[in-house]
Amino acid sequence: MKLFGYLAAATLVLGAGQARAADDIVIGAVYPLTGNSAPVGLDAKAAYETAVEIINSTHPEIPMLMGKGGGLDRLGGAKIRIVFADSQADPQKARAETERLITQEHAIAIIGSYTSATAATISQVTERYEVPYMSADNSSPSLNQRGLKWFFRTSPHDEMFTAAMFQFFKDEGEKTGHKVGSVALFYEDSIFGTDSSNVQRKLAGDTKVTVAADIKYRANSPSLSAEAQKLKAANADVLMPSSYTSDAILILKAMNEIGYKPKAIMAQAAGFQEQAFLTGAGALAEGGMSRSSFALDAVKSRPAIAPVNALYKARNNKDLNDNTSRDITALVVLVDAINRAGSVKPEDIRKALVATDVKGSETIMPWAGVKFDETGQNTKGTPVIQQITGGVYHTIWPFDVAVQDAVWGVGP
Amino acid sequence: MTLDAILQVVISGLLMGLIYALVAAGLSLIFGLMDVVNFAHGELMMVAMYAVFTLWQVSGLDPLILLPIVAALMFGIGVAIYRLLISRALEVRFNKGMVQIFATFGLAIFIRGFAQMVYGGEFRSITSSWLANRTANIYGVYLPLPQVAASLVCLAAFGILLAINRTEFGRALEATREDREAVALIGIDRDRIFALGWGLGSATVGVAGVMLAGFYYVSPNVGANFALIAYVTVALGGFGSMIGALAAGLLIGEVEAITAQLLEPSLKQVGMFAIYLAVLMFRPRGLFGKI
Repeated sequence: MKLFGYLAAATLVLGAGQARAADDIVIGAVYPLTGNSAPVGLDAKAAYETAVEIINSTHPEIPMLMGKGGGLDRLGGAKIRIVFADSQADPQKARAETERLITQEHAIAIIGSYTSATAATISQVTERYEVPYMSADNSSPSLNQRGLKWFFRTSPHDEMFTAAMFQFFKDEGEKTGHKVGSVALFYEDSIFGTDSSNVQRKLAGDTKVTVAADIKYRANSPSLSAEAQKLKAANADVLMPSSYTSDAILILKAMNEIGYKPKAIMAQAAGFQEQAFLTGAGALAEGGMSRSSFALDAVKSRPAIAPVNALYKARNNKDLNDNTSRDITALVVLVDAINRAGSVKPEDIRKALVATDVKGSETIMPWAGVKFDETGQNTKGTPVIQQITGGVYHTIWPFDVAVQDAVWGVGP
Repeated sequence: MTLDAILQVVISGLLMGLIYALVAAGLSLIFGLMDVVNFAHGELMMVAMYAVFTLWQVSGLDPLILLPIVAALMFGIGVAIYRLLISRALEVRFNKGMVQIFATFGLAIFIRGFAQMVYGGEFRSITSSWLANRTANIYGVYLPLPQVAASLVCLAAFGILLAINRTEFGRALEATREDREAVALIGIDRDRIFALGWGLGSATVGVAGVMLAGFYYVSPNVGANFALIAYVTVALGGFGSMIGALAAGLLIGEVEAITAQLLEPSLKQVGMFAIYLAVLMFRPRGLFGKI
């Protein structure tokens, strides 16, 4: 009988657990959790778990959207649950996993996905099933220009990022007299690199900057020494790479191996913002610049950065970076919309997302805010430019949020 | 293009080609010996890279000092793989080829997953060593020292492999390759030769991995970047031929470097595969193949 009692108790506990789980609001997250991009995907996972902790649990209020804790108040304190799926950075796997999340796991929204190539297929699936896709950290400008109704992106895209780079060149020239006359484009051969280079080529033309080299390379090549030689021959004022982590490490080593020190580097973030790159390239990366949508050092104007970063660091033993900060922001914006909708019906959530108008000070980002245009793109995500000094990124532009001046020159 | 720029291209191709050759040598050895394509070859290299990375982190010793330790470790791993997995896959009665392919392919996926479980997906680098990031400038041509060291070690390894071929064991290897049934009649233990062949093949790719770790990142997928080129190198050089692997590796390194200069860098593998296809069409046994 005693055994029966235990069993009954166990069933009750399990049953209660299941009942609670059924009430959870499920959001699907598609990321590369294995394969070459896995480090970024696993960081994203930790970032989402941090955001879920902030949203669901009870804690002192964090001065951020959904920072109150205790679940979604307009849905009776419902909790958020994220189901992760592994895309292996493969667009076809991402497509299949998204379908599974929507049909099997009953996800009411999808968030993702680091590489733009996977975002392209994920957002096709979400469009067909009519659930919102929140693009947290995909930066290809073409993604929101496909007439999709269910696509939303909090992050700035590479057109906005690249515009910031050229604006920085201009501002810096006016301030210090250091002119940028030529750039070398260096980009990987998937949608991220090619889209990024298209914008850079166009803006260079518009601002009368010469494109001294235009080099498309195969991602994950065993060697980039031939590419480095072409960059050396061009010797442009600024090298502008669009690369993921492994290639970012490799190109800096390859340039060093042939005795080439670029005069300056202005990276389209991605791999260049990763800790593995900063460690792997070491002193070779010193002085490298990168666009970023996040400024860890902007703690004065964004008081939520410190507590959120502490929670994330406790979980993943790293500081927030460009990608993980955008992931947290995208998720809280999405959950805030679900909360405002007061409903888990996709159409209601979509309407609430369209009506989103969040102030920058309610986020951890140095942005003006979050407000989507008719293509689902946030128009208020204003990027910053950062530079590596002492192995850490520091904000150098816009000048009003900068913590130090730009220094020209790369390497030890 | 100036003369020193041309020389730089040739030297970069040469240095990379020797690495390709050494990665391919172990694969060729096993392939030639027992007709087994080891799909986990790139992963064995990755294991060696993690091994040297871990030993370097723990002991702080230079990768060059750790080289023999890792090579010995890889020899043991190779023998273990043969004893525990491959010898059993060889025993099956039907669809032998498929079983062998799936056995090594499964092993590759297992090793990759295991590495990610233990080390996470992070890209690791050996950041301090005697040669790290150092270059020598000779009349405007730059020689990256870690790669020069890798090339010298590679040549030495080839020397050793060719010397082994001349020993009793080498002749036993050769005999087993030619007729694995007949060797039993003259008292050669086929199983033992195969196990040693696997050990030697793994140690060779292990040496390549250690030298590569001096100037390359380490990640669970790093082997895949090199494995495809290794298969092409083996097929191009001829299965089982050490000289073939060396010549094909050098050829691929040079063709890749030159193609990247003539065409777009994203197309640099086109030249290499074009030569591979041409060899397949006109000399299917490879440049130095006997079979």
